[in-house]
Amino acid sequence: MSVATAGGLTLAGRDRRFGLLLTAPGLLALILVITFPLFFTLFTSVHDYTLLTPNYDTFVGLENYQEALDEEYLPDSLWVTTKFVLASVVIEFIIGFAVALSLHATRRFQSIYYLILLAPLLINPVVVGLLWRMLLHSELGIVNYAIGLVGISPVSWLGDADVAFWTVVLTDIWHQVSFMAILLVAGLAALPREPYEAARMDGASTISCFIHITLPLMRPVIAVAILLRLIFAIKTFDIVFIMTKGGPGTATDLISYYIYRAAFFGLDIGRASAMAAGLLVIILALTVYLYRYMNSLK
Amino acid sequence: MRLLLSVLAALALAVGAAQAQTIRILMETVPDTRYIQELLPQFEEETGIDVEIEAISYIDMHSKLVPQLIAPEGSYDLIVVDFYWVGEFTKAGWLMPLDDLVERDGVDVDVYVPKLMDLVGRVDGVLYMLPFYNYSMALIYRQDLIDDADEQAAFQEAYGMELRVPQTWDEYWKQVEFFTRDTDGDGNRDFYGTVIQGQRGDCISMQWANYLYSQGGLYHDENWNPLLDTPEAIRAMEYYREAVENYSPAGSEAYCFDEAFNVMAQGRAYSFVTFNILYAGFEDPESSEVAGKVGITPNPGGGLNGGWGWAIPNSSPNKEAAWTFMKWAESAAVAKERAMLGGAPTQAQIFTDPDVMAARPYYPILGEILAGTKDFPVFTYTTEFVEQVGLELNLAATGEKPVAEAMAAAQEKLHALLVKDGKIEE
Repeated sequence: MSVATAGGLTLAGRDRRFGLLLTAPGLLALILVITFPLFFTLFTSVHDYTLLTPNYDTFVGLENYQEALDEEYLPDSLWVTTKFVLASVVIEFIIGFAVALSLHATRRFQSIYYLILLAPLLINPVVVGLLWRMLLHSELGIVNYAIGLVGISPVSWLGDADVAFWTVVLTDIWHQVSFMAILLVAGLAALPREPYEAARMDGASTISCFIHITLPLMRPVIAVAILLRLIFAIKTFDIVFIMTKGGPGTATDLISYYIYRAAFFGLDIGRASAMAAGLLVIILALTVYLYRYMNSLK
Repeated sequence: MRLLLSVLAALALAVGAAQAQTIRILMETVPDTRYIQELLPQFEEETGIDVEIEAISYIDMHSKLVPQLIAPEGSYDLIVVDFYWVGEFTKAGWLMPLDDLVERDGVDVDVYVPKLMDLVGRVDGVLYMLPFYNYSMALIYRQDLIDDADEQAAFQEAYGMELRVPQTWDEYWKQVEFFTRDTDGDGNRDFYGTVIQGQRGDCISMQWANYLYSQGGLYHDENWNPLLDTPEAIRAMEYYREAVENYSPAGSEAYCFDEAFNVMAQGRAYSFVTFNILYAGFEDPESSEVAGKVGITPNPGGGLNGGWGWAIPNSSPNKEAAWTFMKWAESAAVAKERAMLGGAPTQAQIFTDPDVMAARPYYPILGEILAGTKDFPVFTYTTEFVEQVGLELNLAATGEKPVAEAMAAAQEKLHALLVKDGKIEE
């Protein structure tokens, strides 16, 4: 039975309208700060807009996209970015989950551990880059000095292409792994206790508890944590900008720095916008896929 | 009564605000900016104009400047322009010509070293900038090692020639090889003949230019035809690669000048081809273990000419006050004071000024270095050129690409950019 009102609206309907009214200012702000730049980027990407001729007089269609795809080093950058995202997110997830489980099981000094864990996350990424660049200096850095004490010969952390890639991945992990851990700890804390008690009664081991209770229950949280880190990882910029400038060669040339160069060194905002739009499509596709996957778990 | 007082106070404030002018300048965090900041109170006292200097690191400057230059009214009254932005900034029409102001106020612009006037002063006959400081590149080396009698004897025996401040590239390279050593006998090199600043992009592009000039190479001929696949350019890259492999710290292909500076400043290297403005840092015991032991000399075959110029952007809200400041900073007296503090001069008479020489005995050598420098290609796409060629050079330096192949690619890139700029035909 519905409750009729004077305006012909149900109570639920009026609630909805009131809700819309309340959210309208926020929505408007969102549209302004998200949708507008988004469409502006798309608009720019089909024009010959450079910093030397900053106008929209020349419509070029998909030419900017074609030009970007033809670039010699774009495939390298895409491949490096893919490797970087996979490596950093997978390793961060494994370490993050391990840390989360041990933190969850810890009773004493929990706040101290939190503090230590959060410290890197609070540091500006530019500072992280500078810090590690100094620590890893091949001649004068403390890391090479320390490993020298135990007889390991110095490592060219940023000068060797293969090593430099992993140096950047490890720096990112050092900086971001706590984000993953904190999200997962929150998820663990919210798990119901009953299934575990029941399982203990049935004599289940810790490992089977983890596999049959923790993992299935944590799946939505894990999905969110991985999704967020994935999106952030694709956009990683500061670390390579500060530590390697994409080098040696193209070993650490992440796509965001690649696009930055097109815009600010190449002065070609149109082409940079085209690449940014392409990147957006990739991120969107990933997000939609993971979102669907999360929903399917409910 | 109280109301009247507050109205009066408000009025007084408003009048005060109208009188006090403020100019804003975007600068780089380098010693020469610091010297300006030290002398600022003089200017503010003389003119009543307040100066706000926003000093930031180089990597942020270009991306911070451009939006302000495009805007009809930007937030900077005065800016400093690196030589390799000159082509871009003037082509885009962002800088205000200064000829009328110079003529109106009778400013003598013939005091500047012509090389710098060409680099960061005039473009196609129009004066857009006054040269602010020069960062021409030079060879910094360990004078104490050259003066050492034992080293001299050993060098004589090994190479059949005298150990002295290098005059030719060949002589220099023998010294580089000679001084590269394993001093503690653990099988690893730990003292280096030279230090490479090989990081992709700006760092390697700037240093490699000196190697190119050392071999008699150039970036382009007088008609802008690129020359990066010539035997000279290839030989220059081979030397550079040899340095990375044998004479410079492992990992230096990822150094920029600050990391390389520290290797030399810690007494771990014989020489370093770099910006002359770093020399003051080597002579400062606060930042260097080798203070008093280093010398500076022209890069054999010529070094890179580099510099910054003051410019008033067309988007400057307060051009007249900016000009007043520029005149003050470049006046003979202030330019001299800056040099006494360690600044890198642009006006010819300062290099040999008796007071400056008393405070900084090596300044005549800086003049010599500047006189022997060669120009980097300055055109609309210099910034992109530095990035693109800097990548090819780095690929060759790290051995990922054969030298000849990398230089062929560099040649192609320069060619394409020059065509895009209309300097040459397809």
